[in-house]
Amino acid sequence: MKRLTAVLGLLVIAFLAGCGGQGGKGSTLVVGAFNPFSGGDASFGPEMMGGCIPAVNLVNQAGGVLGHKMTCQAVDTRGDPADAVPAATKMIATTTNLVGVLGPSADEAQATVPVLNSAQIPMFADTGEAAFDHSKYQYFYRLTPADDVKGYALAQWAYQKGWRRAAAVFGNDVGAQSDVPTLLKAFKELGGTIVSNQSLALDQSSYRTEVTAMLAKHPQVIFTEADPQTDATYLSEVKQLGQMMPVIGTETTLQSSWLKAVSGAIGPAAMTKYVVGMQPLAPATGTSWKIFDKALLAAKKSVSNPSQWATDPYSMTYYDGVNLMALAMLKANSTKPADYAPQIVGLTQAKPGAVVVHSFAQGKHEMAAGKQIQYVGAIGTIIFDRWHNASGAYEAVSSPNGQTKIIGSVSSAQINKLKAGA
Amino acid sequence: MSLFVASLGFGLVTASILAVAAVGFTLQFGVTNILNLAFGDIMTAAAFMGYIATSNGASIWLALAIGGAFGAVFSVLLNRLLYTPFARRGTRLFGMIIVTIAVSLIIQNGIQAIWGPSFFSLKFSPGHSYHVLGSMVFTTAQFGIMGIAVVAMVGVYGLLRYTKLGKAMRATASDPALARSCGIATDRVIDVAWILSGALCGIAGIALAMNVTSFTSTTGGTFLIAIVAAAVLGGVGQAYGAMLGALTIGISSEVAAGLIAPSWKQVVAFAVLVAVLLIRPQGILSEVAEEKEVVA
Repeated sequence: MKRLTAVLGLLVIAFLAGCGGQGGKGSTLVVGAFNPFSGGDASFGPEMMGGCIPAVNLVNQAGGVLGHKMTCQAVDTRGDPADAVPAATKMIATTTNLVGVLGPSADEAQATVPVLNSAQIPMFADTGEAAFDHSKYQYFYRLTPADDVKGYALAQWAYQKGWRRAAAVFGNDVGAQSDVPTLLKAFKELGGTIVSNQSLALDQSSYRTEVTAMLAKHPQVIFTEADPQTDATYLSEVKQLGQMMPVIGTETTLQSSWLKAVSGAIGPAAMTKYVVGMQPLAPATGTSWKIFDKALLAAKKSVSNPSQWATDPYSMTYYDGVNLMALAMLKANSTKPADYAPQIVGLTQAKPGAVVVHSFAQGKHEMAAGKQIQYVGAIGTIIFDRWHNASGAYEAVSSPNGQTKIIGSVSSAQINKLKAGA
Repeated sequence: MSLFVASLGFGLVTASILAVAAVGFTLQFGVTNILNLAFGDIMTAAAFMGYIATSNGASIWLALAIGGAFGAVFSVLLNRLLYTPFARRGTRLFGMIIVTIAVSLIIQNGIQAIWGPSFFSLKFSPGHSYHVLGSMVFTTAQFGIMGIAVVAMVGVYGLLRYTKLGKAMRATASDPALARSCGIATDRVIDVAWILSGALCGIAGIALAMNVTSFTSTTGGTFLIAIVAAAVLGGVGQAYGAMLGALTIGISSEVAAGLIAPSWKQVVAFAVLVAVLLIRPQGILSEVAEEKEVVA
C-alpha cells in the first residue's frame, strides 16, 4: 500500500514538476515542516516548529538568503502514509517557493521520501529507520541518529569504561531487538565478547532462571532495553542474587517510567551507582546552542511554550537543517534545490582555512568575506557519511535521585568508525 | 544440569503465585459458572492497596492480609451488585464474559486515572538470600510466597475435602439446582466462594507485586493469561487441577528459559498446555468443565 501510494505520488509529481520552481527576487522561500501535527504523533509537529521558526527568524534578521526572506510552513502528514503522500504532492504542487523540507518522520518516510526526492526537494528527515542508513536518495539528509545506531553507542561506552565481557538483555519486542545486531557487531569489533544474549519475554512474574544463566557467564556489564516492568523485575533479581553490576541502557531507559520502575525495584543508590542510559547528545551548551536557545525563547509569539524545546535534540536538528539549507544557498548562489543541495555536506566539513561558524549570520558574513566555513550546529559538530546520515554523538546519562546527570559521551567520529567497520 | 535444577526451583516461585491465583479463579468459576476475566485487575487493585499500606508503614505481611481482605470484599460486592443481577436476567456464559471484560477495563482504567500510568513498588525488603541445593537462591520474601501458597493450597484442600462448607461448595459446583433441593443455601455458598476466591486473588496480587518489584495498572491483567491457562490445564472448576496446572505452567516456562532460551519461555509453557488439552480436552482433573460449557 505504501509503495502504491508512493508510485501514485510520483506520477503526480512528474506532472506537476514543471509547475514549481523558486519565486522571483524578494519572494519568501518556504521550508515545509512535513510531520504529523495531528493524530497519535501530533507532538512531532510543534517540536519541529520549535526548531524551524527560530532558524528562519535568525536568517531573516541577518538579511535573508540572496534577497529572499524565509518562512516555515506546517504540512500535516497525520502520521499516516495514506495522508502523507497526498499532503506531499499538494505541498510540492502548490508551494512555488518551496526550497526544502524538514521531515518526514518514521510514520511516513517510506512512502514520502521517494516523492520528495523525485521532486528534487532536499529533506532533513527525522525518521530513525535503518532502511535509510545506506539510502541512495540524493536529496535525503538525516541529522538524527538512526535507531540501530544506539547499539554502537552502547558498545563504545562499555569499551571506554574498560568492560570486555557483556550480557545483552533485551525485550523480545521489535523496537528493543532492532538495537541488538549493531550492538553485537560493534562490541565484537572493539574486542569485547557478548557472553550472554537474552531476548526476554516481556512482563513475566520472574526472570530468576534467565538471571542465573546470565550470571553464570560472568559478564562485567549488562546492555539492556526492555519495558519498565521487565527490566525492573530482571534487575531486582540480579541485585537479589548479590551480583549487581553496571547496566548500560538505551535512551528508553532514561524515560521517567523506566527510571521510576527500576529505581523502585533496585533502590536509588544502586540506580545511581550502576545504571547509565545512552541518548543522542544534546549538550545544551556551547555557542551554537546559546544562539538557538536565545532565538527560540524570543519566538514565544509563534512557538507555544518555547522553553520546552530548548534541550530537545530533535528541535535542534531542525534548526540546524534550516541553517544548512540557507548557508548552502549562499554557497551555491542559488535558491534552486538542485543547485544548493550538493553544497550541504561540504558546509559541515572541517578543512584547512575554514572558519568555524555557529550561526547563519556568522556564516553569511564569512562567506561574504570570501572565506570557507565549517558550520557547527546547536547539536554540535556534524559529520555526514556518504549516505548523508549524521549519526551525531551520544551522551551517557546517570539518574541520581531522578535528576539526569551527564557523565560522559561517545563522539560521532567513534560511532562512524564503528559503522564503517560493521 | 545445575541450571536445570535452579530453573525447577525458580519455577516453584512462579508456580506458587500462579497456584494461589488459579485456585481462586477456578474455585469461584466452579461454584458460580462466571468466568471472571476481571480477576487479574482485582489482583492489581489489591497490589495498590498493598502499596498504600506499605507506604504508610505497614509490614508486607499486614499488606498481604489487607490485600486478601480487599480482594474478598471487592469480589463479593462485585458479584452481589453486578454479576448476580446480570445472571438473574438470564445472561449466559458468553454475555457474562463480556461483562467481566468491561469490569476489567473499568478497574484497569480507574486505577490509571487515580494513580497515573506510572510504576509503583511495595515498600518492603525482600530479606536475605539463601542458597538451596547449591544453585538455587531464594529471598526470605520468596520463601514467604511459597509458604503462603502451601498454606493456601492445604487450606483449600482441607476446606473442600473435610468441611461441610466445602462439601456444599462441591455440591453447588456440581449441580446447583440439586444442591438447593437438598437444602444447601447455595446463595450463601456462592458468597463464600466469592469471598474465598477474592481473598486468594488479593493475596496473589500482593505476592505478584512482591515478586515483580515494580507494577502498574496492567500488571495483573497481563498475568491473567497464565492464570487462565493454569486453570484450564488443570480442568476449569477444579481447585486441585489448578494447583497442578500452575505447577506445570510455572515450571515448564522456567525450564524452557533455562534450557532453551528466554524467548521460548511462553512458547513451551503454552505448547504444554495445548498438548495436554489435545490428550485431555477437559483438563487434567476436570469433572465439571464440560458441564460448564468451557469445552466442546
